[in-house]
Amino acid sequence: MSLFVRGMGWVTPLGTNVSTVWRKLLCGTEAPAVKVESHLGLRDYQAFRVEETPAAHPRLRRSSNISRFAVAAGLAALADAGIDPTAEADRIALIFATANGGVIYTKRFYHDIVTGGARQASPLLFPETVFNAPASHLAAIMGINGASYTLVGDGAVGLLALKMAEDLMRAEALDHCLVVAAEEVDWLLCDAYRKWRLLRDAPPLEILHQPPRGMILSEGAGALLLSRSGKIALEQISAGGNYWSRDKAAALLSKILEELGGEKADLLVSSANGTFIDAAEQKAAHASALPIYSPKPALGEAVSAGGLWQVIIAAQALQSQQLPPQLHDGSQHESPLPLARAQRALVLTCGLNEQAAGLRLGLAG
Amino acid sequence: MESGDSNRPISGAKIPGEKRPYFPQRVAVVAAGIISPLGFGLGETLAALREGRDCVAPVTQFPVEQCRCQSAGQVADERLAQVNASRLRRPDRLHRAARMMIYAMGEALAQSPDLAPDLSIFGTTSGGMTFGEAYYRSLHERHPTIGTPSWLANYPPQKPILDAHEAFGLDTPCQVIANACASGTNALGHAFECVRSGRYKRVLTGGYDALSELVFVGFDSLQASTPEKCRPFDRARSGLVLGEGAAVLALENFASAQERGAHILAEIVGYGISTDNHHLTRPHPSGIGPRQAMERALASAALPATAIDYINAHGTATPFNDAAEGKAIVELFGRVPVSSTKSMMGHSLGAAGAIEAVISLLALQDQFLPPNLNFRESDAELPLEIVANEARPARIRTVLSNSFGFGGTNASIILQHAPA
Repeated sequence: MSLFVRGMGWVTPLGTNVSTVWRKLLCGTEAPAVKVESHLGLRDYQAFRVEETPAAHPRLRRSSNISRFAVAAGLAALADAGIDPTAEADRIALIFATANGGVIYTKRFYHDIVTGGARQASPLLFPETVFNAPASHLAAIMGINGASYTLVGDGAVGLLALKMAEDLMRAEALDHCLVVAAEEVDWLLCDAYRKWRLLRDAPPLEILHQPPRGMILSEGAGALLLSRSGKIALEQISAGGNYWSRDKAAALLSKILEELGGEKADLLVSSANGTFIDAAEQKAAHASALPIYSPKPALGEAVSAGGLWQVIIAAQALQSQQLPPQLHDGSQHESPLPLARAQRALVLTCGLNEQAAGLRLGLAG
Repeated sequence: MESGDSNRPISGAKIPGEKRPYFPQRVAVVAAGIISPLGFGLGETLAALREGRDCVAPVTQFPVEQCRCQSAGQVADERLAQVNASRLRRPDRLHRAARMMIYAMGEALAQSPDLAPDLSIFGTTSGGMTFGEAYYRSLHERHPTIGTPSWLANYPPQKPILDAHEAFGLDTPCQVIANACASGTNALGHAFECVRSGRYKRVLTGGYDALSELVFVGFDSLQASTPEKCRPFDRARSGLVLGEGAAVLALENFASAQERGAHILAEIVGYGISTDNHHLTRPHPSGIGPRQAMERALASAALPATAIDYINAHGTATPFNDAAEGKAIVELFGRVPVSSTKSMMGHSLGAAGAIEAVISLLALQDQFLPPNLNFRESDAELPLEIVANEARPARIRTVLSNSFGFGGTNASIILQHAPA
């Protein structure tokens, strides 16, 4: 099936447009970490946060950051593709992907129940706690009246959403599918990942370290407008599968690489994030001599959004024929890595909760 | 659609960018499993539907004394604890939603043990939410964090379906749709499209959700739930009651199912999805969202409205939902038997669409109309033919099932009696 990336939108702690973020990554810039305080008087954490929350649409006046990030990235991808969504609303499908959803409002809503009982629960907050609230806002702003899906999963869910887009574009005669993934950081998430022994106290986010030192959470959104023409082709998407224990992750990732025809690619954008994933990916790709880059030391772990960020990076690398310098992998890279006529890139995403997926991108002829 | 040549192309439309035309394939339901307040399995569910059993009871899972509504449809914990999950590494850590999912999947796979699905597509709204609640309470109350890593690992919404896959050794990629209360029908509809397009031969689909305090109080705070009986489409309807459960349907390319001699329970022939941008929690009063979903399902099935013999309505019993859905049904279908089985078991949110698809399937197989309980007086604004209070026998060939959710997401699916 011929499916192409026609537009991209990027909201990250390093900036909120593709060219700015890409330029900073090429310069080896790392997002600044900020303190995330507990409202319960418990210990603080550090995370990478989006510094400037994108301008809010009136529809978003009561919405949480996750909806603002998703809308900003989605509209940016449409603008990048030169598409007026209101003119083509019935030919566009929307897929929104998330792992943790609107955790800020969910926590606030439940906190009121815990501290004051059910009578204290706010009817204004509850609708924003639902996983598909960001998709609903974006669909309303775009004027979509057809297919709008929200997918949930772990760090692989962004790529699973692209797989779903491929299926939708096959089954229905749509012209475009907008795929958006977003996350917001909250103290509760930092604490949860820390107790799950996956988070470290402060940057740097070091990858490929044994034993793993842990990740730093991040937030933002990524968006891809998929069409039937464009400069970057989604050549193959593998929905992967599920690994039941961490020691089986490498085998699943190997299977995905084999399915994607790893030998056909010129580079790999990895999801190494300072956890057990690093070793699994390394083991899966050990026979490959591909240049490998993980954006997570620079941008942090943005779970669902992180997967689409990897795809954006792969697309940018193919178009600019260079990869940003790899930060915090024990090497001393300081300048971008030039690529020699790279035509194809692999993206591998291994989530922390048993799912993994991958895809192969190519420069369109 | 008439039965006959099982892979007869419905049309040969050419999709832009595609080298070959798109020939829709017929889609069979070859297995089903269900667990809900109505019972464990297809047999108990059928008996409860035929009896018109009211399975809504006082909530026992968490405190509700401050809520307006204090009842729900609940799956019995004692029986749920007996669900066999011995293949899992730590069955003691499973969430209730995972146990429900394992039961329903086990029932479905027992009917079609050689089914090797290419893909799984399931719906949920909150997955293992109660583990998240337990974690938050432990933080707030400064309890030692015993159990915390287990709660966190099993809290994500996709975890119950991943657990069910592990329980049955299925290494199938999973897509988990969270389109609020339409999730189950959206999952089923997308699964139908995947098989229909020819990209997949077999897809497992369904939905799951377990009651949680956060969601229960959320609906209560919106005054969407009722302190009284749940009376869908009644003039005095005052809101919904929540429920829980899980259901699984195995879909297969019709020709493939026939070739391997699978027992075909029903055929899915149409699916419609629409998005109503009116409000995050309220449908447009014109009923445009539900109407578009139902119209698109009919168009997808290439059927006229007159072909529909029974509608299993979303029918939450909230004044707004029933008004919008009822208006759309009357405008599109005129007089057709309608019932909301949520009156018997509550609204199981992400599981509802899948549960109601299985109920529709039972209605087709057993040739009866499931009842709409607690119905006393018609709403003059909604001249519907409600299947009031008692199940009744009927000759039905084609059934439409609706699900609508927060965020303006609407989905309709059409099932047809399996050809002999």
